[in-house]
Amino acid sequence: MEKVMVKGTEAIGEAAIRAGCRHFFGYPITPQSELPEYMSKRLPEVGGVFLQTESEVATVNMLYGAACTGTRVMTSTSSPGFSLMMEGVSYMACAQLPAVFVNVVRGGPGLGDIQPAQGDYWQATKGGGHGDYKLIVLAPSTVQEAVDLTVLAFDLADKYRTPTLILADGLLGQMMEPVTFPEFRDLSTLPDHSSWAMTGAKDREPHIITSFDIDPYILEKMNLELVEKYKEIEKNEVRWEEFMTEDAEIVITAFGTVARIAKSVVEMARKDGIKVGLFRPITVWPYPYEPLKKLTEKVDLFFDVEMNMGQMLEDVKLAIGDKKPVAFYSRMGGVVPTPTEIYEALKKEIGRRV
Amino acid sequence: MSKNYVFIGLFGSGKTEVAINYSIFLRKQHDKVAIADVDIISPYFRTRDVVDLLEKKGIKVITPPGALKYADLPIVSGAVAGFLQNKEYKTVLDVGGEENGVVVVGYLKPYLEDAEISLVVNTRRPFTSTVDGIIKTYEQLSKIAKIKIDYLVSNTNLSLETTKEIILEGEEIVSKASEILEVPVKFTVVPDFISDVETKYPKFKIERFMKMEF
Repeated sequence: MEKVMVKGTEAIGEAAIRAGCRHFFGYPITPQSELPEYMSKRLPEVGGVFLQTESEVATVNMLYGAACTGTRVMTSTSSPGFSLMMEGVSYMACAQLPAVFVNVVRGGPGLGDIQPAQGDYWQATKGGGHGDYKLIVLAPSTVQEAVDLTVLAFDLADKYRTPTLILADGLLGQMMEPVTFPEFRDLSTLPDHSSWAMTGAKDREPHIITSFDIDPYILEKMNLELVEKYKEIEKNEVRWEEFMTEDAEIVITAFGTVARIAKSVVEMARKDGIKVGLFRPITVWPYPYEPLKKLTEKVDLFFDVEMNMGQMLEDVKLAIGDKKPVAFYSRMGGVVPTPTEIYEALKKEIGRRV
Repeated sequence: MSKNYVFIGLFGSGKTEVAINYSIFLRKQHDKVAIADVDIISPYFRTRDVVDLLEKKGIKVITPPGALKYADLPIVSGAVAGFLQNKEYKTVLDVGGEENGVVVVGYLKPYLEDAEISLVVNTRRPFTSTVDGIIKTYEQLSKIAKIKIDYLVSNTNLSLETTKEIILEGEEIVSKASEILEVPVKFTVVPDFISDVETKYPKFKIERFMKMEF
């Protein structure tokens, strides 16, 4: 495959099509509208369906319906839009329906602004909707990785019969980079869902897909089934990247766009002879607690950087406990920190602790 | 030489980079040059993000006023029409991508009599990677902008990964589209880090402004 120049949002759309997604329902919201725009042009070319819905509430319910048939289905939105979808996301998690959601996060809370942010980390990883459920949440930090993780998001959704979420931010959504796309998946090789999907009950027992049971003992069994599934996911699907951590005395923790900026900070510090490394969760749920904890054996200081008030910071602290200090730097409201400003903040932190 | 210059194209075709560089090119020959950011749909990576840099080069930059520049609202400053009519100024328009972006051109049409309209094409982008794609884009955008497109601009690139071969491969595709459409190619864009490429059309060297520090 030759390399092409694509925006993060378009990259996710094309990757979805190549992964076998033929159904997209969505409602425009900045900074991700290029994704539905792309799908509206591209899906008809491959015999797929694009539908612009009247709202995000309608979107998520259309996803629910389409996912019941076992087809690969996707939507994308940005922060306030994802909040609107929360009820349906919870329903889909309970009904064990595979689907891929994309949240291109912007400044919040409330209407916020249209600049990049990471303030939806808690919503993505700690619930957001009601009840006991989890989403598999993937956080790309380059456009190429957005392509790769989109394909993975569909595969994991099918493997575990669960909604998955690509947690991006406005910058990743809008930036253009050269990428290579994977080959088109042969639709006949996609996972077989005939044991549960609603495909017409002629000559067989009807399938029931529901997120409801009036009998608490049955609902509790459904809850426990989900708990088992989430344990399985925690066991198998933790993903992360370490960059120059082998000899690092200080490790920056960051995800998504900020991790990409932090890589530049690592390089700046290394030039000055300061041994800094980067720990970047790729799955923010399930979170890579163990590998991060392992770093406490040799690292003196952890420096968490985020574009929010310190949301992943809670998970970093859960991993590290009281073994080593954890400092924090952030920008919010859609302001993206520069490598220089993060490096200056890091040096101040080192100064305080000498 | 025309008084005004308009650059249109699909999302990510490189309109903004070409428009910015063209205003700098014009400034070398004229005292009074203005560039108007009339991109009503892109939320980031716009001319308005490099205002200071361009003003230092003596170029007047017209953007939506105040904090509205952070929005993606359909705001076209009244000053745009003024600069398009002001005989002392060569004015460059950086127009938003896609169908929804070029409607602005239709709106400004009364002021674009003495204007040169160029369609910027990157053949490494979706929807304009083939001759057919370019022709379809040309037809769609000229229809919505309600205007005749005078030139094609060959801007095939992979950002920092652009090579000589990529530029020439793109130029070849644009050249074929140009023959079929009977619309000439204004120039082929060559990034400043590539020095030894022999292009079929006039070479237009550009510096990259929409860049990130990481």
